[in-house]
This record gives sequence, C-alpha cells and structure tokens, in this order.
Amino acid sequence: MGAVHAEFLKLKRSLAWTVVALLPAAMAVAGAVNTIAAGQQPEDGWHTVWLRSAVFYGLFPLATGIGILASLVWRVEHRGGNWNALMSGPVSSLRIVAAKAAVVAVLAAAMQAVLLAAVIAVGRLAFALPGMPPARYFWISLLIMLACVPVAVLQSGLSMLMRSFAGPIAVAFLGAAAAVVMLMAELPAAVLVPYALIGRATQLGTGTFGDTGAITPWAVATTAIAAVVLTAALTAATTAVLNRRDTRA
Amino acid sequence: MSHIVATDGLTKRYGKRAVVQNLDLRVPTGCVYGFLGPNGSGKSTTMKMLLSLVQPSSGEVRVMGRPMNRATRRRLLADIGSLIESPPGYAHLTGRENMRLVQRTLGLPEGQVEHAVRTVRMHQQLDKRVRDYSLGMKQRLGIAMALARRPRLLILDEPTNGLDPAGIEEIRELLRRLADAGVTVMVSSHLLGEIDRTATMLGILSGGRLIFQGTRAELLAASTPDVLIDGSEPERANALLQAETGSRLDGASVRVPGLDDKATARAVALLVGAGIGVHGVRRDEQSLEDVFMDLTGGGGL
Repeated sequence: MGAVHAEFLKLKRSLAWTVVALLPAAMAVAGAVNTIAAGQQPEDGWHTVWLRSAVFYGLFPLATGIGILASLVWRVEHRGGNWNALMSGPVSSLRIVAAKAAVVAVLAAAMQAVLLAAVIAVGRLAFALPGMPPARYFWISLLIMLACVPVAVLQSGLSMLMRSFAGPIAVAFLGAAAAVVMLMAELPAAVLVPYALIGRATQLGTGTFGDTGAITPWAVATTAIAAVVLTAALTAATTAVLNRRDTRA
Repeated sequence: MSHIVATDGLTKRYGKRAVVQNLDLRVPTGCVYGFLGPNGSGKSTTMKMLLSLVQPSSGEVRVMGRPMNRATRRRLLADIGSLIESPPGYAHLTGRENMRLVQRTLGLPEGQVEHAVRTVRMHQQLDKRVRDYSLGMKQRLGIAMALARRPRLLILDEPTNGLDPAGIEEIRELLRRLADAGVTVMVSSHLLGEIDRTATMLGILSGGRLIFQGTRAELLAASTPDVLIDGSEPERANALLQAETGSRLDGASVRVPGLDDKATARAVALLVGAGIGVHGVRRDEQSLEDVFMDLTGGGGL
C-alpha cells in the first residue's frame, strides 16, 4: 500500500483533479443545456437525464479522459532524473505498474462518481425531478468503474512507454472510435477490447447498441469477468515490458 | 582488498556501436572512486549497468559480492543509493513532500529520512517547492533521496554538473563526510579537477574503454614526462635523435617524449659521442591534468 499511497501524494496540486471534476460535470451540464435549449422536459425522468449525460460520455470522453489522467500521472516521471530514480529503487516492476494503474483507476472511478453526482444535481436543480435516481444507475456506475480498470492499466502502460503527453491520449481516442464500430457491428470480440468494455458498460440499459438494451445478468457478468481478466493480462504484459526494457538514454 | 563493485568484460553495444567495451572495474569498499572521462565516454551507461537500469550486452557486474541482474537487482538496490544524469524530484511538490514520498515508497522510518536531510544540510529549505530550487539545491535533494535508504554504496553521476565553485566544494565536502561515515562513493565527472582531491581511487574511461584504474599517485607514475635536453647544437642533436625517439625542437631545447631513465642515458651518450655539448637534462613537469589529457586525448578538460 506504501507505493499506492506515495502515488497519491504525487497527485497533490495536480491537474488530474480538475479533469476529474470538470469532464463529467461538463457532460451532465451539456446534456441538460441541450434538453432545455430544445424546449424539452426529461419525459422519462431520471432515465432521460442519465441517457443525455452518460451516452456520449461513455463513447469518447471517458476513454479520452482516462488517457489524459494516465498521461498526467506519468508526466512527472518523465521529467528530470525521476525515471532513473524510480527504476533504481528496490521496488519491483509489478509494484510500479500496479501502483500507477491503481491511481489512474481510482481517478477514473472518481470521474464516474462525479458524473453520478452531476446527474443528480442536474435532475434536481434543472428539471426539479423528485427523490433520487433509481438504484440501477448506482449499480451501473459501479460496473462502469470496474470496466474502467483495464483501460486505466492500458493507458497507464502507454503513458509509461511514451514520453509524449498527447500520444497515449490519441491512442485512447482512436481506441474509443474503433470500439464504437465494434459495438455497432455487435462483434463478440468487443468484450476483449478495453475501450469497448467501457463503451458497453456505460450504454447498459440505454439501448444504444444491440446488446445494451436490457440490464441482464449475462451482460453484467461478461463485463465484470472481462474487466478482471483484461486487468490481469494487461498488468502482466506491462510488467513484462518494463522488466525487459533498458532505461532510455 | 574487498571490492564493493567488480565488473568483468562489461560491454554495452547499441547495434554495431560499442558504447562500453570490456570494462574490468574494481571499486574498493569504503573508498571514494572517481570515475572520469570526457563527455560521451560511456560513464553514464556504465553506471546504469551497475544499477541494472541497462542490461549489458556481455560481461558481468558484481555488487557486494553478488551478481547484479534482473533477478537480484531489487535486493541489491536496497543498499545502493544513486543519482543518475539529472537530479530527481517532483517539481510541483516541496522538498519535504518529496522526502515523504521516498519514505512511503520504501517504507523507511521517519528518523532515517530526517538524518539524510540533515546530512546534505537541507532542512532549512524543505518547505519550498522543488521548482523554485537552485540546481545545487536540487542536487542536494537528489543526494538526500539517495541517502534516505542508508546505502552502503552511493553512485553519483556528475553531481557537480552546472554548479558554481561554492556548490562544487559543498559536494566535495559532502562526499568526504560520507566516506568518513563508511559509505563507498562512486562519483563520475568529466572534469578531473572537480574530484581528484576527493577521490582515493580513480578510473578513467575513454571511448568506452577503461584506460587507467588506480590511485592518484599511480596515475602520475603511469605517465612518462618528456625529457628536455639543452646543449650546444640543438638542431644537430634533434637530427640525431628524431628518427629513433620522435624528438622535436622546443625553443633552445630538444624535447624527447617517452624516454625512461635508461633510454635518457643512452640518448645523452649518443649526443656526447657525436661531440655535442650537453648542458642540461631535465624532465618536464606534468600536472595530473596533463596526464588526464594525454590519456583521454584531451576531450575532458
């Protein structure tokens, strides 16, 4: 836990917190503004507010946002002598990879929590909806947080390998675009693509894609299992790469 | 003599280009080892191989008697502090926060970290952000981070780079104190003058090869200063000696390189036999810098 704690200390005064707060909040507000500008009311109550906030967020901004968070988390290591200091400590590669990925995953989970809070705020303040959203949106949020973990590991690995700040973010954007195509084509292999996994999880219950209309135990189970398996595989692969690589000159 | 670092045939190639070739380093335990060489001579690559940051193409590294490789590095690195290339430190955090990071990551007791800070005399500046530090303060913070784990071996790559004379003297003094405290220090520089008075052992690298390893006195003894011969007919004396010794005229003297004592006697006998009056024979004074320049081809100073 020491390594993870240390990684969180590095986030002090980091722009990552701004991304965590603003990106999902902006999505929820944009959804509300579109609805109000069109002179509409959320006809299905909380479901409509959720749809208008989460659907687009899950298609591109979420993956791109995780890419930005990973680049921010690794940027400090690519400066000065920090990389050499990190790699010449008595710390295993697995611990370095896992600690960084855990921080990115927690930040991604925090983004999802902010999105949920923003949906509640928009529903109550902008549309005067009564009470709280149904429990299923809380459960879906937990599933989205889990589905974000393999993307966090993958983006963290890319940001570890690439000194460029924008490079891994571009990969996340392209990955999200490819995932949309796979999900629209209803390819079964989409479950093995991390970006498609968050696309699928965020669209559960919305009917955006063929298999995301109903929240079935099968859909939940496959998403959860794929998240766990992909996380383990990507962590192992990233650790192996770090173990075998020379530090750069 | 026990060696805390020993390498055998250590070589690193990038493609066909050999950056370090057949290095047989021997760093005695408890010394300050000055690792010298011009820029680009392979010092940083060698130090990275000692820390297993870079894997050798061939050869072996032994640290504290054990082979250093991917399997053993984690255990060995617990006893090695290092500062490679530029000083570490997260610029957006204060010095204190950086030290806390080291403490948390390595699970060290607080007192140990405080001791490292006091050793580099940084405790007054710990609450400033690292981005506001001078280069000297960044170097000292980097050394404090390396010292926090109480290493037996400290590997410092050009810690005086970019420092003003006062900063260089501070680092020298710190290295002496660390050596007195029993820490073996291996410190690299491309400037002999920066570390020759601090180092008890010197290793000189040129073009990726170790061209000298020994004490300061051995380094001076390893070179043969030119002989200057003053006589009645310098031009004729030079003509007699040139073919065999590569001599040349130097003002009113004849400068003869690479002559040992016996060869000097033979040269004098040759000149006297040819009827040339020999008024004086002396060895040219050579500083350590001259020796270093000769050995490295002048690239380091």
